[in-house]
Amino acid sequence: MATEVVIPMLGITVERGKILKWFKSEGDRVEKGESIFEVEAEKVTTEVESPASGILKKILVHENIEVPVLTLVGVITSEGEEIPEKYLTIAPPKEETPTTMVPAASPEVSQRMASETSGQIRVVPAARKAARESGIDLSSISGSGPGGTILKKDVENSIALLRREGVALKGKETRATPLAKRLAEKQGILLDMVKGTGPGGRVTKMDVVKALEIRKAPTPAEAPAEMLFGKTIPMSRMRKVIARRMSQSAFTAPHISFFSDVDMGKLVQVRKEILADFEDQFGVRISINDFIIKAVGLTIREYPMLNASVDGENIRINPEINVGLAVAMDEGLIVPAIPHADRLGLGDIATMRVDLVERARKGKLTMEEIERGTFTVSSLAQFDITFFTAILNPPQCGILTVGKMDEKLSLVNGKVKARQVTQCGLSVDHRIIDGAVASAFLQALKKELENPSDEFLQL
Amino acid sequence: MREISYAQAINEALRENMRRNSRIILMGEDIGRYGGIFQVTAGLLDEFGPERVIDTPISESGFVGTCVGAAMTGLHPVAEVMFIDFTTCAMDMIVNQMAKMHYMSGGRGKVPFVLRTNIGAGRGAAAQHSQSFHSFFMHIPGLKVATPATPYDAKGLMNTALADENPVMFIEHKKLFITKGHVPEEAYAIPFGKADIKREGTDITIVATHALVQKSLNVAEEMSREGVEIEVLDPRTITPLDKEAILNSVKKTGKLITADEGCLTGGFGSEVAAIVAQEAFDYLEAPIMRVGSPDTPVPFSPPLEQFYIPDEGSIKDAVSRILAYQ
Repeated sequence: MATEVVIPMLGITVERGKILKWFKSEGDRVEKGESIFEVEAEKVTTEVESPASGILKKILVHENIEVPVLTLVGVITSEGEEIPEKYLTIAPPKEETPTTMVPAASPEVSQRMASETSGQIRVVPAARKAARESGIDLSSISGSGPGGTILKKDVENSIALLRREGVALKGKETRATPLAKRLAEKQGILLDMVKGTGPGGRVTKMDVVKALEIRKAPTPAEAPAEMLFGKTIPMSRMRKVIARRMSQSAFTAPHISFFSDVDMGKLVQVRKEILADFEDQFGVRISINDFIIKAVGLTIREYPMLNASVDGENIRINPEINVGLAVAMDEGLIVPAIPHADRLGLGDIATMRVDLVERARKGKLTMEEIERGTFTVSSLAQFDITFFTAILNPPQCGILTVGKMDEKLSLVNGKVKARQVTQCGLSVDHRIIDGAVASAFLQALKKELENPSDEFLQL
Repeated sequence: MREISYAQAINEALRENMRRNSRIILMGEDIGRYGGIFQVTAGLLDEFGPERVIDTPISESGFVGTCVGAAMTGLHPVAEVMFIDFTTCAMDMIVNQMAKMHYMSGGRGKVPFVLRTNIGAGRGAAAQHSQSFHSFFMHIPGLKVATPATPYDAKGLMNTALADENPVMFIEHKKLFITKGHVPEEAYAIPFGKADIKREGTDITIVATHALVQKSLNVAEEMSREGVEIEVLDPRTITPLDKEAILNSVKKTGKLITADEGCLTGGFGSEVAAIVAQEAFDYLEAPIMRVGSPDTPVPFSPPLEQFYIPDEGSIKDAVSRILAYQ
């Protein structure tokens, strides 16, 4: 009995994945549960386990080809079993068989179709040009032509979609001589960045040569980019994802922001008191962020709308309260989430937070850990930043920003008092959350943080 | 406007030019008393006499060679080679003499000579009288190659051929001789190297020659009813070739079909496909399709011959394959 191997669902919003590495070759023996391939989606790589024991008889999708999740990528048969016929003639990923006017395939066509199953991306030249001009990654597009060939209209649709999402794309191709284009392409120079001195402002070969001299010919590889003035650096995969998601969020969700001073005095005191015990018991140093995560979880319980996301014309109120914490890295930003932050004790939250942050920095998070977030906390408390606004982490509808804690003079009942104050900001998606709700939530959160004893009844 | 046939249009062009230019003489097999196998020279012997309309022995090499010599020494001959199949007998004269003299004399010698012949299957004339290897002559520098598809183009191109100081292969099509079309009575010239867009369209370009021009137009009309607008472009001369018109059309439609009655391998369509792949590569939205004859001799059996000749069905097949990329 043959077992199909597919790219698993990698999270609710993840639609596509790319196999980075097959750990097994065709004909190798595999055991159920052992890692069979490594898949990359959005920012994370995950190892996928074999669904059955047997022989990996056929690999249908090879490495480095992006396909939709649940795409059939391989077939496992039992020892000695022949691979069922249907897998030999299987359509390549995402094939949409043209239905109109196509006569029975001639031998020539069938042969072509057969060779297409080997998995390479097929692109008509005009589509390749359109992608090049707009700076779109062809591997992110699924083709609607014969054998999944990417057509010009597929790229155009993708451009239109990205434009709608507010993603900035490259403009029309810069005018350049063919020689200049070839040289620029070979050397990884963006023609837009070169000033043309040829007829009609065309970029000539000499212009590119000059640009090369200035830039010392950067290579287009994804090697860690040196930050040199005048240098053009290709975006890393992570940066591309961040760029896309942030633009999508900023230009689709109307953001409104609210700020409030939070007196952290009691919380700081509580933390100080339990710090040592905690370290003994859980082996981690509890941080202010852990309290904030817990407090956010508890407050969301009373304001389910802050746990919602826009789903077309519906509002989906997510069943679990999973609070994400933005983690800054050299390459970008990633937001792993603590599940059930409202129900977990502080010790569990702290333990989990330490583990997640550490693995985030190593790039070892699972898709699930990133995707499950329903609300985000972003703290810049370690910087001298009073307050700030943040862009929502789509599809979430709320993000809490935490500025530095500062000793401030306050008037309390007519007496001057020094207080430990943090300015907390809340940005929400105004499509579904209005100012009053956001304010009430922020106020409730403030109350929670200012009266930590209530919070820790659930230690 | 009056309508005359393709054969009559060429006849008229020859007659008018012969009246104006006494250097023009005609040579060929059965072109005088019989009026030519397809009646293209009918009546010319009567008007211009046997000194200018000369029936020759069956020796293509002989009379083509004679024409080359006559052209170099002051006349402007027009030879009729009964079928293109027979040009092979005169290939040395055509390729090594006619095409080369202007070049080898450093431009001082001229060869004002029009060699008329015809291609096309469909008259039951079998493998040695039905071939369409006009693209042979595209391959020979020094020859211009005109390929009229309509009576109007035939007269206009012949007028231009007879004004040319150097050799022109004037390649007619057997099945077109009796087709009729509007032809002005006055003289007019169609410049070489200037394609004619026979029908404008936005979705697919068909570069068609000879009989396949009309067949392409028929398909275009049919497809238009299904919402597919095909542009039909007739280069009218395959040398010089109006590359610019072809490239502009493909840049507009992104899709190319070539339709030419020659055998596919190494043919006219292959050359056009190569030009487009090289110079308009980035505009291609689908593979280039070629419509042409199979790489076999033309069969004698009438049903087989009909199967062999590229027609509307072959064009539609190419269109449907391209539409998969629409």
